[in-house]
Amino acid sequence: MNTERHIASAFDRDLEGIQALVVKMGGLVEAALADAATALETRDEAMAERVRAQDGAIDALEVQVNDECLRLIATRAPAATDLRVVLTVMKIAASLERCGDYAKNLAKRSLVLNQMHVVEGATASIRRMARQVGLLLKDALDSFIHRDVELAASVRQQDRDVDHMYTALFREFLTHMMEDPRNITACMHLHFIAKNIERVGDHATTIAEQVIFLATGQMPSEPRPKADSVNMGKD
Amino acid sequence: MSVIEMKLEREVAAETIKIQARKVQVHYGTNHALKDVDVDILSKNVTAFIGPSGCGKSTFLRCLNRMNDTVASAKVSGSILLDGADIYDPRVDPVQLRAKVGMVFQKPNPFPKSIYDNVAYGPKIHGLTRSKAELDEVVESCLRKAALWNEVKDRLQSPGTGLSGGQQQRLCIARAIATSPEVLLMDEPCSALDPIATAQVEELIDELRSQFSVVIVTHSMQQAARVSQRTAFFHLGHLVEYGETGTIFTNPKDPRTESYITGRIG
Repeated sequence: MNTERHIASAFDRDLEGIQALVVKMGGLVEAALADAATALETRDEAMAERVRAQDGAIDALEVQVNDECLRLIATRAPAATDLRVVLTVMKIAASLERCGDYAKNLAKRSLVLNQMHVVEGATASIRRMARQVGLLLKDALDSFIHRDVELAASVRQQDRDVDHMYTALFREFLTHMMEDPRNITACMHLHFIAKNIERVGDHATTIAEQVIFLATGQMPSEPRPKADSVNMGKD
Repeated sequence: MSVIEMKLEREVAAETIKIQARKVQVHYGTNHALKDVDVDILSKNVTAFIGPSGCGKSTFLRCLNRMNDTVASAKVSGSILLDGADIYDPRVDPVQLRAKVGMVFQKPNPFPKSIYDNVAYGPKIHGLTRSKAELDEVVESCLRKAALWNEVKDRLQSPGTGLSGGQQQRLCIARAIATSPEVLLMDEPCSALDPIATAQVEELIDELRSQFSVVIVTHSMQQAARVSQRTAFFHLGHLVEYGETGTIFTNPKDPRTESYITGRIG
């Protein structure tokens, strides 16, 4: 990794600028996910509304990242690592924007779920899963900040745990629905939430893979470990 | 266009080696300008030499048609083979060699003669044509190849020095290809040109590579990236890295190459 400064110091400032924006975006997304999961568990409507409202800030940051990247490509003609930084930043921003949408969706569904009976233990499990995925996202972003290939590789490994948690939740919801059909509406919402959180984990993995590409110039070659074992309706 | 075709276009067209240089060293007096350079220049490809000032890229280019012979203090060692034959063999006539390995310089330098005579000069002195009609044909075809014909066909007898800078440079290219060279050396051919004329010369270079090997020295890394298939990076007299242009500009192996192409060392 090249740590020398550019002769044109404004080029360094531009590159640092887009990276700072994407890191800021990451912070907002991590907070949105954690808050949305807490709002679901504690039935805190005000908190859920705040998460919904703040998604606009995440979207606006993505637009800003894209604008800055376009400008940088057009004016600086970045090459090699510099070019990979720009491409990686754009891809990470796109992933984070999707994660923000998932957090917002969680918040919206929590408002609906507040009107229904509590499904025993479900929201606590979802919050644990959200916390696990939040840590994954944090590790992915830290690996980006520090260009830490090992940490990025570990994110890819850890995503398997998230897949396991999702599979377990899927079975749990099926059980609830079979026990009492009145749980079906709530469990459908909860299942969408769990699936969306699992997707955030996939985005964290995508970010980690981008970091490996950024640092090495190569996408990781070995296939990512998958523990996706939801037997489609067989249980 | 299918994916496979797109891949093919980027691939190096022909892998035949036109010029093979081994352990080339150049001293200017006590100054060791070029150190152990090994390069294979491929036929029908554009090869770009990049590197900071004084890195040896122009010196090496000038070895390829023995232009360094004209510098009294220059001493060249090592071997440079053109189609397998040593160009520094004492039996080789440098003038004949330069008809095969043409050169275009940084500043357009047309002869103080008419446009026609500028192009006709080489074929005349080398006796490449037998009649006036044949010579006319060569002049027209070279001016066409240099993308200048339409602009000058009505004033072939006007002085070449009366053209614009970009036109003069294309005239020099027409003059260089009039002796049917196999290799065309270009030493910063666009540095005195505006962006439009630069684009025209770059377009021309891309067309010329269907017939010639083109070797271009350029200070503009973007130009190297645009026109060449292979890029060589020189630094302090060493050839640091040589490879496919796309690889050099996206994922160079040597940190010095990376530093240079990203604007970190001059």
